[in-house]
Amino acid sequence: MINPLQLANKTILVTGASSGIGRATAVLLSQLGATIVAVGRNATRLEETIHTLEGSGHHAMVFDLGDLDAIPGWMAQIVDQAGPLDGLVHSAGVGSLAPLRVLSMTEVEQVMRINYFSAVALTKEFSRKRMHRKDGSIVLISSVAGVVGAAGRTAYSASKGALAAFARSAALELAGVGLRVNCIAPAYVRTEMYEATRGSLTDEQLSALVAAQPLGLGEPLDVAHAVAFLLAATGRWITGAVLAVDGGYTAQ
Amino acid sequence: MDTKAFCAKLDEVLDVPPGTVQPGQALDQIEGWDSVAVLAFIAMADTEYGVSVPAKEIPQCRTVDDLANLVLRQKA
Repeated sequence: MINPLQLANKTILVTGASSGIGRATAVLLSQLGATIVAVGRNATRLEETIHTLEGSGHHAMVFDLGDLDAIPGWMAQIVDQAGPLDGLVHSAGVGSLAPLRVLSMTEVEQVMRINYFSAVALTKEFSRKRMHRKDGSIVLISSVAGVVGAAGRTAYSASKGALAAFARSAALELAGVGLRVNCIAPAYVRTEMYEATRGSLTDEQLSALVAAQPLGLGEPLDVAHAVAFLLAATGRWITGAVLAVDGGYTAQ
Repeated sequence: MDTKAFCAKLDEVLDVPPGTVQPGQALDQIEGWDSVAVLAFIAMADTEYGVSVPAKEIPQCRTVDDLANLVLRQKA
C-alpha cells in the first residue's frame, strides 16, 4: 500500500492555525507525518491546535502577521529553531462585509495587510535559499470572492484576488529554484469566520448562499485535503494554479 | 444613545443628504432602504457602536427608532 500524500520529515509553516481552515490543515498535515510550525495571534487557541496535532516536535508561534516589518527577523528565528521549511500554508485572514459607502480606508488597509501583504512577506522570506529545502511548496488560501464578485465584499475580494494574481507570477519566478506556488479558492466553509458572517445575513440570504453551493457548505477538512495534495509529491507538476474547492459554486 | 448622531449615521448608510433621516421615520418611506443599505447598516453598527446586529432581526424593524433600539439591545 502506498500513501502519495505522506509528508514524513517535512516541516510546514501554517498561518491562521488557531482556527478554521488553518487549524484543520495543521492537524491533517501532522497526521500525514509533517512537523508543524503553527502560527496564530491567540496563544490559548494556538495551544489547543498544538494539542490536537499528531506526533511531537511541533512549534507554536504567537505572532501578528500585520506586523510586516517584523516578518523577516521572525522567519529567520523560526528556521533557526525548526530548521529549513518544506512548505508554507497561508490561511490567516480577516473577513470584511461593508458596502463602499461605509467602507473606511483603514479597513481596506487592514484587510489587505493581513490577507495579502503578509503573504507577500512570507513568500519572499520562504524563497530565500537558507529558508527552504528542495521541492518547497507554498499554498495560499484565496477565496471564490477573489474570482467572482459579491456586493459588500470589495475589500475582501480584492485581497483574495490579489493572492491569486500574486501566486501566478511568484510561481513563474520561483520555478527555477524548484519552488511551487498555488492558491486554493474555497467557497463558504463551516468556520468561525463563516459563523461571524452568518449573523450579518438574513435567513433568506443565508439559504440562497448555501443553495449557490451545489455540494452544500464545505468543511475545513475539505480544504485541508486540497492543501495536502498541493504540498505533497502529488502536486509536483502543479504551480501557479488556483484550485476551486467550492462545492461547485464557480461551476455555474 | 444620541438620536441625532444615529440619524446622521443612517444618512451615510443610505447615502442621502445630511438631515434627511429623522427620528421616528418609517423605514418603508425612506428611499434606498434596500439590501445594500442593510449591509451598510450592519457594518456601521459594528464600526460606530461596536455591536454585531443580527441581520434576521432587521426585517422586523419598522422605524428608525426600531433600528436604534436594535443597536441598543446588542450593547446591553
